[in-house]
Amino acid sequence: MTKLGVYDLEVRYGKVPALGGVTLHLQEGERLFVSGPNGAGKSSLLKAIAGAVSSSHGRVELDGDIITGKSAEAIARYGLSMVPEGRDIFSTLTVEENLRVGTGIRADKQAIEGDIAEIYDAFPILGERRHANAGALSGGQQQMLAIGRGLMTNPKLMMVDEPSLGLAPNIVDQVYDTLVALQQERGLTLLIVEQSSARAARVGGRMVLLRGGQVVGDGDAAEFAERDLLKEAYFGQADQSKSTEEAL
Amino acid sequence: MNAVPQLFFDAASLGGIYAMAALGIALIFGVMNLVNFAHGEYIAFCVFALIVPSSDAVAVMFLGKAPAILLIPVLLAFGALIAVASEYVVFRQLRNANPVAMMISSFALGFVIQNALLAVYGSRPKAISLWPDLNTPVSVVGASVPLLQLIVIITTLLVVSVLALLLKKTRVGLEMRAAAENFTMARLLGVRANVVITGAFALSGAMAAAVAMIMVTQTGVADVRMGGQIMLVAFIATVIGGLGSLPGAVAAGFLIGAVSVVLQAALPLEARPFRDAFLYTLVIVSLLLRPQGLFASASAKPRV
Repeated sequence: MTKLGVYDLEVRYGKVPALGGVTLHLQEGERLFVSGPNGAGKSSLLKAIAGAVSSSHGRVELDGDIITGKSAEAIARYGLSMVPEGRDIFSTLTVEENLRVGTGIRADKQAIEGDIAEIYDAFPILGERRHANAGALSGGQQQMLAIGRGLMTNPKLMMVDEPSLGLAPNIVDQVYDTLVALQQERGLTLLIVEQSSARAARVGGRMVLLRGGQVVGDGDAAEFAERDLLKEAYFGQADQSKSTEEAL
Repeated sequence: MNAVPQLFFDAASLGGIYAMAALGIALIFGVMNLVNFAHGEYIAFCVFALIVPSSDAVAVMFLGKAPAILLIPVLLAFGALIAVASEYVVFRQLRNANPVAMMISSFALGFVIQNALLAVYGSRPKAISLWPDLNTPVSVVGASVPLLQLIVIITTLLVVSVLALLLKKTRVGLEMRAAAENFTMARLLGVRANVVITGAFALSGAMAAAVAMIMVTQTGVADVRMGGQIMLVAFIATVIGGLGSLPGAVAAGFLIGAVSVVLQAALPLEARPFRDAFLYTLVIVSLLLRPQGLFASASAKPRV
């Protein structure tokens, strides 16, 4: 069943086009990576789907409902959650307060405490620091908190923008492993922005490549990773996103 | 008479008024980056809501006749109502405008309210006597203090603690704090922008009503222009406190009250008429030394 349908979506910042007609589909329970060089429109795509920026053309459907043009707070009620690039943690709120901000839209109030406990289970450091100001957390801990906070709205589809940004490799692996575990547990549909095909291939899933605001590639993450590896072997250590792009 | 306790009570009660007015401004700035210059006019509006509309020199009590137990909640609701109504009529239409446009509109809104009051009540200041008994002095730790001063101090502490509790313990308080830090992120988590903004305006308007009651009891005058003066001081308090910081606004409100009372007492007699010049010089110095505000937190920086 199609969870998310994006049809010919366009975004402009003034006269500058950021997204030039993107069409893609996401099946229920699927894991899709969106890759591409800087400025390819990855973040714009996520923001437009979530209603944080308005699109100039095209439409977005979630479970068959058209959500284009609705406000971000309305779209959140359809069961879509977004973890933005740079986390956007509420640094003046405590860790637990951060988790609770998104629970206002839930009908199943009695399940909230259980979900918080589950997130502390997945990320024990958050439980230990539940009463600390979120601004005092390290970058990796903030990423964990951002994911936990995104889950607290009880979404059906979660979009995570570059969870690996600025994190040490072992922390990145930990974050991804937990994301995958949570996805399987909850039957989540995931859309993740990830520059590195190798990291995407490690956890597995489909991958879409964006360039210049358009989809230029679609396939299995492992295939992208293989091509990137081959490129690397022939041409040395190149920037991974660039080599993914050249591989096509 | 004992000079030091006297000074303390003067400073704390004046500072309390400034702090409450500053809180009203900081609340709205916090959630929507708007310095609402109409806030002083909300105060004036609440004062005039107490009396019968007429342009006579002596005010006839209207709402002011009601017993305190009724008057206080009704006037607080009145303040909340005008603030929420002005948000609905003016600021909601400008939700996506830039902050400067919104600020200018708040000036315009202030003038509209002020001129409406002028049209109905005339321009002459009116004598008004709300709760005159509260000005009888009582003796506290050797100082002779009008009862009202004590009430102001207690009220301020009460209002600040209730507000802190509201922000800390309630759902809408949590949403307001989240929205104050990052409105877009809060909305992505399903926080309704209109609920948060309406809540902030209602609280801010109620705060204006509280200030109105205190000012009227203290001065015994209803003047259409009374909002301007307090608005100026309150605005300065929010800037010195660090724009958007609620504890900062309260602290700076008390600080300005204290400094102006101390200056009044300490300056040589010939210099006293120029007290405000000294006060605002200190304001400039404080802004030169800490342009981000005296109480701005350093923890608000994002991490990579």
